[in-house]
Amino acid sequence: MSAFLEVVNARVLYGQNEVLKGVNLAVEKGEFVALLGSSGCGKTTLLRSIAGFNTPASGAIRVNGHDVTRLPPDKRGMALVFQSYALWPHMTVDQNIGYGLKLRKMPKVAIDARVTEIKRLLGLDAFGARKPANLSGGQRQRVALGRALAIQPDILLLDEPLSNLDARIRLTVRHEISALQRRLGITAVHVTHDREEAMVMADRIVILNNGEIAQVGTPEEVYNRPASDFVAAFMGAENLVELSAVLHGDRIEIAAGAFNTAAVVSARGRALSGPLNARFRGESAELSDAESAIPSLREEGALRLTGTVEQTSYPGGLWRHVIAVGSAHVIVDSPRSFEIGKRVSVRIPEEALFLYSKQ
Amino acid sequence: MSAKLETKVSDAWGSETPPQARSADTSGMVQATGSAAESGGWAMPVQAIGLLLVAPALAVVVFLFIVPLISSVTGAFDVGGALSLGNFAKAFELYSGDMLFTLAIVLLSSALIALFSIMIGGYLTLGSNPRAVAILRWIYRWPLFIPFIVVGQILRTFLAKNGLMNNIFIELGLMTPLSAMSFLDWRGIVIAFVWKQTPFVALLLSGAMASIDRSTIEAARNLGANRLRILVEIVLPQVRTTLLVGLILSFVTMMSVLSVPLMINAQSPTMITANMAFRINAYRDYGVANALGLISLLMTSAVAWIYLRQTMREHSR
Repeated sequence: MSAFLEVVNARVLYGQNEVLKGVNLAVEKGEFVALLGSSGCGKTTLLRSIAGFNTPASGAIRVNGHDVTRLPPDKRGMALVFQSYALWPHMTVDQNIGYGLKLRKMPKVAIDARVTEIKRLLGLDAFGARKPANLSGGQRQRVALGRALAIQPDILLLDEPLSNLDARIRLTVRHEISALQRRLGITAVHVTHDREEAMVMADRIVILNNGEIAQVGTPEEVYNRPASDFVAAFMGAENLVELSAVLHGDRIEIAAGAFNTAAVVSARGRALSGPLNARFRGESAELSDAESAIPSLREEGALRLTGTVEQTSYPGGLWRHVIAVGSAHVIVDSPRSFEIGKRVSVRIPEEALFLYSKQ
Repeated sequence: MSAKLETKVSDAWGSETPPQARSADTSGMVQATGSAAESGGWAMPVQAIGLLLVAPALAVVVFLFIVPLISSVTGAFDVGGALSLGNFAKAFELYSGDMLFTLAIVLLSSALIALFSIMIGGYLTLGSNPRAVAILRWIYRWPLFIPFIVVGQILRTFLAKNGLMNNIFIELGLMTPLSAMSFLDWRGIVIAFVWKQTPFVALLLSGAMASIDRSTIEAARNLGANRLRILVEIVLPQVRTTLLVGLILSFVTMMSVLSVPLMINAQSPTMITANMAFRINAYRDYGVANALGLISLLMTSAVAWIYLRQTMREHSR
């Protein structure tokens, strides 16, 4: 049984520039998938290829087993919500929402009924006669969504639909869209560069890097088990220290360094030895006063770094510390503040420590 | 230091320079007043400086535009030194057919220009064959650079009874020499106007079409609109003000062209411009010529009024 929406080895070129380098993706019916990546990674290109606005140089796109690679955008059963909303400024809200139905030659009465239904669904009842220029950003966003949903597409494609909204509205609209998607049972592909947005909204996250898929997984998987150094950094494990290690059976033995204790962590199937990049998140490490000397003891199931506090700030909830560990700087949060210039010890439990061999 | 010096210079102007010398050296004065305003220590009010700065432009408008216009309007009501409507009576008696002819030709031409420029602009915006779009983009502007008189001359040789067009058709066996007819009448004028003015409107229109949000076009494609519907229902409503401006400007241009009716259609009925030239050159009859001029001014004003009303309505929305 193949997936509802499939992208098979899609390559897309812009001139000589290869924007998608053979992407494979499978989306199940009713699933909400987020394409996540920084700008220029090819996520919008992938979405536009699925929608039919870009034709892949090679590879295929299938919906429900049918090849749609060469079909025009409107023959794919998909509706796209644009980043700029792309509402037609000369039409009212009702006309915008009903246009797709008018194109399908639906009788006027049926169009009106459907438009009313969509407006009720999206809380736009009072705005039917308004033009887009007289709507707020959030209302325009909902009209764009309504216009896409009105034609009852099998697949809803969302191209950064929240990026033009105020930060506060964005938080509520996130939940509104995913609640609506679940209620309608529609398959959705959502492009975003906002990690938290992808985590909150999607069933599965596809992380793209430089035209290739870096990792596919549930939010919990990509957050806690990032497959590569890039994914770890992208998912917020920005703190980077370099270590040296040896693999012993199912244990990785980290050698003591100038700023870290020796440590042993379980390998969990990772075959790592030699120079390593270690990444961790500031909120998953523990900060404490450093003992006078680096303990010679080997730490079990955790790595301990020693450094000096260089800067503190209070972003809310926890204190944030910039700590110099040798030439590297790491950022660690702690419930209490440590003075600037103080020597501190940073303990990173093994489940929060992401290790990758250094290229 | 420099401010002080300028103050001194302007003081000198204020007290010693005779008025003739002041007006003789306007450029120097503008410069000096400008820097005095910057230094702020001088008595001349800012409004007066502003008026001084626009004075040269205003003078040009008054002497080269408003005064001749007024003299031509008053001339239209002047029969042998007395105020009278005689010129208009004569103009209507002799040329009422030509007035309708002019209006009909210019309106028909405007309609055709609108149609063709929408087609050209639409293809440039929505065309899917990049090579065809590039060729069209390169070629459509050419008539813009050809003067009206040359357009008239080219079309005269092309559209005549024994002209190039009929010869080609006869050579191709599409018609017999007997059925050949001349297009050098109202059709010739319309062809000349449309050929010359379409690129101008298409240029404005395709620029406006290129600047609308592309995603509004893609959104319509996504919902299943074909290209014609996108052009008519999505693109055109977003550029209709530009289309209107282009058509009004070309309406006014066509109303003022003398060379094309003279070249192509020097018989009756012809356009008002030809009549005006005839009244002046043949009879030195400035009165009727002025009356005809005022009538054509009223026609263009009516069009301008439609445009203004339209833009006012859009702004008030």
